[in-house]
Amino acid sequence: MHREETGAQQLLKLGIGLAAVVFSLLLTALVILLAEASPIDVFEKIVEGIGFSGQGADILRISGVINFWIPLLLVCTGLLVTFTAGLWNIGVEGQMMMGAIFASYVAQFVFLPPVPQVALEIAAAALGGALWALLAGVLKTRGGVHEIFGGVALNNLASIFSIYLISGPWSNEGGQASPPFRSEALLLPYNNEFKVSLVALALMVVAFIVIFAVLRGTRWGLELKAVGKSQRSALLLGVPTERDALQALAVCGILAGLAGSTRVLFTYGNLRPLVSGGIGFLGLLVVLLTGTRALWVPLISLLFAAVLAGSTRLKIALQLDQSLVGVVQGILVLMIILANGVRGRFFAARQAAADGASAAGKESAHE
Amino acid sequence: MSRRLLLSLVVVAALLLPAVSTLAQNDEFVFGLVFVGPRNDHGWSEAHYTAGRYVEEHIPGARMVFFESLNAADAPETTLEQVVDEMVGEGAQIIFTTSDDFEEDTAAVAEKYPDIIFVSVSGDDVLAGTAPENLSNIMGIMEYGKQIAGCAAALATETGGIGYLGPLINAETRRLAASVYLGARYCYEHYRGLDPDDLTFTVTWIGFWFNIPTVTLDPTEESRRFIDNGADVVISGIDTTEALVVAGQRAAAGEAVWGIPYDYKNACGEAEDICLGVPYFNWGPAYVDMIQAVRNGEYTQVWDWNGPYWDDINDVDRSAVGWVNGNGLTEEHAAQLDEFIAMLAETAPEQITKDNIDEPGQQIGLWVGPLNLQNGTVLAADGEIVPPSAVWYLEQLLEGMTGSSTAE
Amino acid sequence: MSVEVRNIHKHFGPVHANNDISLRFEDGRIYGILGENGAGKSTLMKILSGFYRIDSGQILVNDRVAHYDTPRGAIQAGIGMLAQDPLDVGAFTVLENFVYGQPGGILPDWEAARRRFSEIEKHLGFELNPELSVEYLSIGQRQELEIIRLLALGVHVLILDEPTTGISAEQKQVLFSSLKRLAHQDGLTILFVSHKLEDVLDLCDEVAVLRLGCLVGTAQMPVTTNDLVAMMFGQELAPASRDDIPFGDIAVEVTDLHMISERVTLRGLGLKVRAGEVIGLAGLEGSGQQLLTRACVGLIKPLGGRIVVAGKELTGRHYRDFLAANVCFGAAGRLEEGLVAGLTLTEHFILADPEQTAWIDRDRGTRLAADRIAHYHIHGQPESSIEMLSGGNQQRVLMALMPPAPVLMVLEHPTRGLDVESARWIWEQILARRRDGTAIIFVSTDLDEIVTYSDRILVFYAGQVTEVPDARRTTVDELGHLIGGHSVLSGEAV
Repeated sequence: MHREETGAQQLLKLGIGLAAVVFSLLLTALVILLAEASPIDVFEKIVEGIGFSGQGADILRISGVINFWIPLLLVCTGLLVTFTAGLWNIGVEGQMMMGAIFASYVAQFVFLPPVPQVALEIAAAALGGALWALLAGVLKTRGGVHEIFGGVALNNLASIFSIYLISGPWSNEGGQASPPFRSEALLLPYNNEFKVSLVALALMVVAFIVIFAVLRGTRWGLELKAVGKSQRSALLLGVPTERDALQALAVCGILAGLAGSTRVLFTYGNLRPLVSGGIGFLGLLVVLLTGTRALWVPLISLLFAAVLAGSTRLKIALQLDQSLVGVVQGILVLMIILANGVRGRFFAARQAAADGASAAGKESAHE
Repeated sequence: MSRRLLLSLVVVAALLLPAVSTLAQNDEFVFGLVFVGPRNDHGWSEAHYTAGRYVEEHIPGARMVFFESLNAADAPETTLEQVVDEMVGEGAQIIFTTSDDFEEDTAAVAEKYPDIIFVSVSGDDVLAGTAPENLSNIMGIMEYGKQIAGCAAALATETGGIGYLGPLINAETRRLAASVYLGARYCYEHYRGLDPDDLTFTVTWIGFWFNIPTVTLDPTEESRRFIDNGADVVISGIDTTEALVVAGQRAAAGEAVWGIPYDYKNACGEAEDICLGVPYFNWGPAYVDMIQAVRNGEYTQVWDWNGPYWDDINDVDRSAVGWVNGNGLTEEHAAQLDEFIAMLAETAPEQITKDNIDEPGQQIGLWVGPLNLQNGTVLAADGEIVPPSAVWYLEQLLEGMTGSSTAE
Repeated sequence: MSVEVRNIHKHFGPVHANNDISLRFEDGRIYGILGENGAGKSTLMKILSGFYRIDSGQILVNDRVAHYDTPRGAIQAGIGMLAQDPLDVGAFTVLENFVYGQPGGILPDWEAARRRFSEIEKHLGFELNPELSVEYLSIGQRQELEIIRLLALGVHVLILDEPTTGISAEQKQVLFSSLKRLAHQDGLTILFVSHKLEDVLDLCDEVAVLRLGCLVGTAQMPVTTNDLVAMMFGQELAPASRDDIPFGDIAVEVTDLHMISERVTLRGLGLKVRAGEVIGLAGLEGSGQQLLTRACVGLIKPLGGRIVVAGKELTGRHYRDFLAANVCFGAAGRLEEGLVAGLTLTEHFILADPEQTAWIDRDRGTRLAADRIAHYHIHGQPESSIEMLSGGNQQRVLMALMPPAPVLMVLEHPTRGLDVESARWIWEQILARRRDGTAIIFVSTDLDEIVTYSDRILVFYAGQVTEVPDARRTTVDELGHLIGGHSVLSGEAV
């Protein structure tokens, strides 16, 4: 039901959000105190680690945040598509790995001038991710294997495959990684200050805008929304549910593959075990937290990237137990849930009113 | 919020503030340590962490900064370069990267920071001639510790079955597994009077230095499998202690099994009574040497392969590699083990460096022919010493061992 | 105990659900609260039973103003409502549910509770096994348990909201006689909410009729159905008229159909339907009608047999192929099968609009939605979420989503749960398509509906299919016999 928000309501929402932030900061402070450290120091170091201190912005550290944000938001963007279609694409982690593996293949065995070289690597990564996602999709639609179970199995398979490559055909004696790729095959940082690949950054921005527009404005996006809310009804309305589900997975796989390619072509410069690093799972968390409200996804994913990247500084400067960072992250999650939950509860009355508007007409709901 | 709670928070904050603003010391010397695992893993990383604390005790003004669990799974948001950036920002003048996993990245950041000294532990960049001047390598001759471990296992075993939990497969892990095997064969024959060919020596590679669920084989599960398949001594070649823990559980259930952990001096603590002993690294002295040299402006590039201090292999100030007996070792066996160690000492060079590695006649304990590689090719003819470089770059496991030599 | 409401107002957002309603209910009487879907009946009852708070107005109990705004408060004031969905706990036994619904200490007196339970049960003429787990009870039995529980709480005003939905005829008789006893012997006040006229005529002493949130009138029994309908809708209604029209070519031909479900098996069913013909499928639910309807639209693949639509072989094809062949389908569970909760009306129309290309033309969608809303008299806005609409309006949307002139229209329970006016309107739409040459197959358990609208009637009994010899002349009684499995004629192809 369409609802207009008054200024007072917006203010209230903002207030609830702020209260949640303050509450979680207090909670974090308490935990840090229990760990016998100074909360002020911890917050200061995290903010410094993100790149902001009394001396102004530190471009290098900001680059670190952005470099983690790029694969994270790429994955989140893909997951927006699958979540819209009601699919739990747990396999996103494996799709990242497959993207990384495909990109690594091109990087090692295809020799082209830099621009077509990197373009081909990225295309290969997209293909790898998409194929791996489609495999999960076919297992679901043809084999009746739920995408969660299929995804978990395919994650393991991708991981085992990458380790086999690293320790076998692509092994580099002495190290547990493939040989470093030559520099023409890499995504290069803009410069030594702003150490971010502009190509990767552009990929991220374009991908998000395109997916946002597609979900909003196309028939396909609307079909996914319908499938996500009720597959049965969507089918009866004439939506090709199976095809749409496969396409949604493929699109997510493409984006996950791109995310994987930034890990090998930029972050590490070679293929490593667990190259996806749990970023796919973090992406699932982020998209769940936003409740698939697309506009929040860049913001929340940036927040997570910032806290995680900022914690590198924290760990080194304060030498706290590393589990503390996990606690801080947990509290962050709690805060977002809390803000959502409180707001939801607070506006439940209005929601009920909206329901009730129909309830008047809903007497027959149980007919 | 109640006023009392608010008040107490303010008080706590006030108490903490002075602690926060500690004065920086003038003669501070900052050194960095990067660990691949957690600093309390009771294994490889903890041995390095202990050495860092040792440095702080022995060099006035020395302050350690460290970063633990730097690997793609635990810290996907961080690269070695970022960690080094932060450590340099903290004022670190020398940084130890303590895993072969960091070898290539360390070489890259060493180029980026030519004024900072980097020590890539267990690496061979210097030996291979690819390292910039500010990058050195150190390693302990753990082959001795492993031969002792193998001997202890052979003395204890009743079934003649020994299981070795290996990490991933490379030259280092092959030569260490092979050293255990050499020690076991020797002692099975000389002290037990049994045929060493009857020994069953199995190596299982889990795939990484420690357990990563779904990625590596599960070391706990593999340790159990060793025992189920007839081994009664389980030896760890990985950074963590699952082998000993499993042996302890099985012994508690009434089975006659023993375990030997690795890397860290106090690792037996996980299951003391059935621990035969532990071969461990004592990085402290080498760290102190490196740091003193840097501090005094006397740094020169090294590739040092440091052995035990044979007068007392457990001398914390001198020995790079040691062995402590565990409670599982009988007195008789302990005496035999002492005899074995004394024998190793007779032929041992104390330190192998990039300058002397190719000098003939340097014998690392039992690395003497006749020895064949697993595929049957001759490594050394009867009586021929295997040169240290051939040990370092061992290409295969030895004949008689069960397990893969390469990852395919 | 008397209850009175004075000048009750209740808004839900822009909807004025109760508009200045004043009514008085005396003890010892049964009141029927009538109104079409969305008239405000349930809102008023929920206000009385403490589920909703009033915007303005007063509630008086025994002529004194009562202030309560929770169901617990209402029960303390002596007013209890039997929910449409009884709120019992499935895992517990009948007696446990009874006891946990009562105030009391941590350790209940089980013996006393059992005596009290059977006392009330006997008085009402119910037969419930107190040891039986509630999950095994039928809806009717759950209602009985709920009535017992409320009476034990000392309720003197009993509100029942659509209690006859989903219960058997026998249970309805038991319920009605117990309600009459409670009112006329024990002096309770009974408020009976329903949109079924015959139930109200059967049971009530007085009726109050609501329309669009307002009280339009009250009446003492006896009144005629037509009077009530006139009050409810402002006019008298006759069923939609069905002209005799000449049938066209064969629209769908089903040959030798074999199908199996968990409950029934169809063997060798054959059926030819011509353009403009209406086939009613009668029978108890689950007798095999649904297998046939779903096979006819490609949602279930038959084990054997052929299905030809307008000369085109579609056996074993996907639902979408049937859609492409201009077959359309309306399932019974509208929000489970057909409409997508969470999508707006506009979005539904966009999805069903073949003219929409890859990039959605929102303006076109909104225009189309507004157009259909007006044409189909749907109470809702283009941007309304579909689940916010009442059942009758949802059914209208479902009709509006169907193509204008399908070859075959397959409908399951097209008017289930709708009030008379809505049901009549839906049939007008169906018959309009029939005139344009659409073949229609529909399932219903409402025998009146079957008899009124069918050209031919198939009766399903446990997978056996019988055609009623002369559908035009058959009666509800005759049909009832067939449905019960009596005098099954030949099971051969029809």
